[in-house]
Amino acid sequence: MTATAENRTYSDSRGRRLRIFMGGSRVYWLILPAFVFFLIFFVVPVLSLFLISLDKSVAGVVDPQWDFTTKNFVRFFTRATYYEAALRSIGLASMVAIITLAIGYPLAFLIAKTENPGRNTFYMILVLCAMQLDMVIRLYGLMVLMGDNGLINRSLIDAGIIEGPLPLMYNFAGVVIGLVQFTLPFMVLSLIGVIRSIHPSLEEAARSLGATRRVAFWKIIFPLSMPGVLAGSLLVFAISISSYVVPALMGGWKVVVMPIHIYQQIAEMGKWQFGAAIAVVLFITSVIAVIIYQRYAAVTAGGRT
Amino acid sequence: MKTLRKQLNNPISRRSLLKKGAVVGAASSLPLFNINHVWSQDVTYDGGVFDAEGATLNIGEWGGFWEEFVNKNLLDQFKKDFNCNVSYDSSWPWFPKFVAGGPQNPVYDITNWNLPEMFKTARAGDYFLNKDEILENVPNAKDCWDFAFENGVGVTWGFGQYCYAFRTDLADPHPTTFKSFWDEQYAGGKRGTYITSNTLQMIFFLTASHVFGGDYKDLDAGYEAMRSAMPMKISDFTGNMQTLIERGEVVIGVQWEGEVYNQIDKGVPIAAMVWEERKPILTQTKTISRYSDPVSKKLALALLNRTLSPEYASEFGKTFYMRPTNKNAVIPENLASKGVTNTADATNGMWIPDWFWYLENEDDVVETVNEIFAG
Amino acid sequence: MATAVSTATTPIKPGQKRWSERNVSLTIQIGAWIGFVILLLPVFIVVLAGLNSGEYLTFPPEGLSFRWIIDFLTSETWMGAYLFSLLLALITMAVSTILGTMAAIVLARHKFPGRDLLRAYFLSPLILPGVVLGLALYVFFVTTNLGLARTLTGLVIGHVLVTCPYVIGTVSAALVSFDQSLEEAARSLGADPWTAFRRVTLPNISAGMMAGAIFAFIVSFGQFDVSLFLSTPDLTPLPIALYISLRYTFEPTAAAAGIFAILLVIVSMLLTARLVNMRKFGGIKFS
Repeated sequence: MTATAENRTYSDSRGRRLRIFMGGSRVYWLILPAFVFFLIFFVVPVLSLFLISLDKSVAGVVDPQWDFTTKNFVRFFTRATYYEAALRSIGLASMVAIITLAIGYPLAFLIAKTENPGRNTFYMILVLCAMQLDMVIRLYGLMVLMGDNGLINRSLIDAGIIEGPLPLMYNFAGVVIGLVQFTLPFMVLSLIGVIRSIHPSLEEAARSLGATRRVAFWKIIFPLSMPGVLAGSLLVFAISISSYVVPALMGGWKVVVMPIHIYQQIAEMGKWQFGAAIAVVLFITSVIAVIIYQRYAAVTAGGRT
Repeated sequence: MKTLRKQLNNPISRRSLLKKGAVVGAASSLPLFNINHVWSQDVTYDGGVFDAEGATLNIGEWGGFWEEFVNKNLLDQFKKDFNCNVSYDSSWPWFPKFVAGGPQNPVYDITNWNLPEMFKTARAGDYFLNKDEILENVPNAKDCWDFAFENGVGVTWGFGQYCYAFRTDLADPHPTTFKSFWDEQYAGGKRGTYITSNTLQMIFFLTASHVFGGDYKDLDAGYEAMRSAMPMKISDFTGNMQTLIERGEVVIGVQWEGEVYNQIDKGVPIAAMVWEERKPILTQTKTISRYSDPVSKKLALALLNRTLSPEYASEFGKTFYMRPTNKNAVIPENLASKGVTNTADATNGMWIPDWFWYLENEDDVVETVNEIFAG
Repeated sequence: MATAVSTATTPIKPGQKRWSERNVSLTIQIGAWIGFVILLLPVFIVVLAGLNSGEYLTFPPEGLSFRWIIDFLTSETWMGAYLFSLLLALITMAVSTILGTMAAIVLARHKFPGRDLLRAYFLSPLILPGVVLGLALYVFFVTTNLGLARTLTGLVIGHVLVTCPYVIGTVSAALVSFDQSLEEAARSLGADPWTAFRRVTLPNISAGMMAGAIFAFIVSFGQFDVSLFLSTPDLTPLPIALYISLRYTFEPTAAAAGIFAILLVIVSMLLTARLVNMRKFGGIKFS
């Protein structure tokens, strides 16, 4: 019996035998190097660090003492500074994700629909340039722009529009702006491919049935781009919630999110145990976000994975 | 040893060794190969020049212009004379790096500190050589005043005064007392101070406690003072504060003299107002790591010797307005004209808080002050 | 009847205006240009600061001059950091792309139990703060004492961990749109698995691989958090050098360094654009 394309499926027993015969299962070994690499250099070090979170809090001690106590976690959830920082982190990351989506979608749409290859490459270069600008120097650039004595404030004050400077930096708003600016390329790049893969005839069909552009967009294009929307949002969320340098510099060391607490506890106080506990909480929060994302993605992807 | 080496060369068992080693290594901080450390306690130095045969000396010290100065006036010549390499690390803080490796794996051989961080590190383990060991092996150390060793951990080689740095063109009237910082004219974020891990902020806080509460240990007075000074711009390092003042984002900031005079020389419209009510002292203290590699340790002792030389102290004083601790150092003109003298009681009237008391209370202070800063 | 240039053109009534990007409404175009402004304004400022003839980070610049660029090109610290970042990014890119592509292939092909878990496993370095990862690695290297602490390999390991997920993401996205039956067809024509993969699958996902490689390069070059604890004075990547320098003082040379980083992207993008049709960039996929 010849194996034609139609009847060669992977789910029936004959297909399974065929797959094994073709050495399909041997492909599994390909994942091993990455898996082991991550195991040794990610799981083990991070687990050792997390193990410390269950130790008693002693300044300057790094190794696990195997001295179990949950005091560190209790401390985290009972002191306002800490659990507020957790909420602030989540709020910050969510806000950044939403804003980058709102700004990034039009941009991705434009680039996706650009037919001219030269112009397309040009746009891509612009996006990647923005991505490549070094974090620290970028923040100084933003300070020139948004500081109390910066461009925006000085022009607004000179034009007489406002009296005193707008606090655009060294506060929560500054951190949001900094993170949006930093993660925007990630969102855009996540969206481009998905938008492009939406077959144009779908939109045409909607238009020909009388739908306005706006309706066609919201009812057809946007839902179909969900996988990209979710992937981009997850990426931006993850980057924002774990960022240390942006809240530190743009927030003027005043916007305290969890990575800052972690760094402070470990680098300043030498309380590795407590710092590790905060890291655990942060990690679990992000894991929950990933799970929510995966569930939601499975629902909306419509089986295209 | 041989079988261990064979094991390490075999890739498969290296992986399992790694996994086992990770657990074992994490549970104990004993490094696998520390033969050298048995000898390192016996390193001596007599003050002369020797050939280090290309060994590397690891230094932890402030960067930027400071680093340039040290390279030009000390390290370039040092590298030639002793035939060695120098790895100059300015990515402060030092404390977590020391602690991550433990006393047996010091990250630097010779380190430059402000007191609180040094005490914090010393408390966490047997990291540094003590006073007697330094006096024995560093000839110039004998020429230092007693107060240089008062800290009990390292050698203080220079000190300076705390002050406010302020924009002469933006502050009207100019500040005259410690409390001027709280003047209305600086409201709305024109005041600047540092993160809680920076010594300057710690001192600022304690001085505020003293001036407002009568006793520097009156933490509540300190907290109140911080609260009423808000909103403030928070910087992480004096260099960043310099930039903020240059840009006019901050009009009055906590600083120490040296940086302000440097900025004045560059033409920035800035001046220093030295604190009078309480005169805290900003010390520069060096330590030698006990368990450094023997040759590096010897180099560290040699470098410390040169750092403590009267000539270097005078040069540093000229550029950074840093006051010397070596009896024989000649006070440069810029300092002498301010009435600075080089005597055993040069630090009289200057104040060092009880850092051990502070470190006991640091958790509360850091948490509360950060809460205040966060608004 | 006018022939549509592309099938994606929306039909218009006679007399109705056409925008240059034919299929895109004005609202979206405006939104897109706002996005561009947000992306590029800091870049613009930094570039100008690097060309400023004055001493400080002022805007508008006092004048234009190349002195900071020359300073940068002749400075051992800055050029050293720049070239080191370049080297580090290239190595990271190579390792990440290989490991990531291999993993993505397995993840995309077969639906097996635990696949989602595995995907999350490879994504996890991204959800941990970089400083924590860097610290954990530093402590790990020091305690296991295998000579990885304060070495290039150690730094590469940290960078690979945070760039691999991106490679896996882009290659997964490319594999989704790749029709596996093409490879099956090659197999049925007598090719062995490796040849079928090499000559059918690989060329088709090359755009995804290239995109992942570029992502890996850019993320590694600009990586700050992870490098913070793993770098040493001799192994200082550019972001760390910038941070250290800017803490102590501001030099426009730092801005010049930023300019060169951007130039690097432009050059590498132009190179890539010639090798690969950029329009085939398939996006990123994490599930």
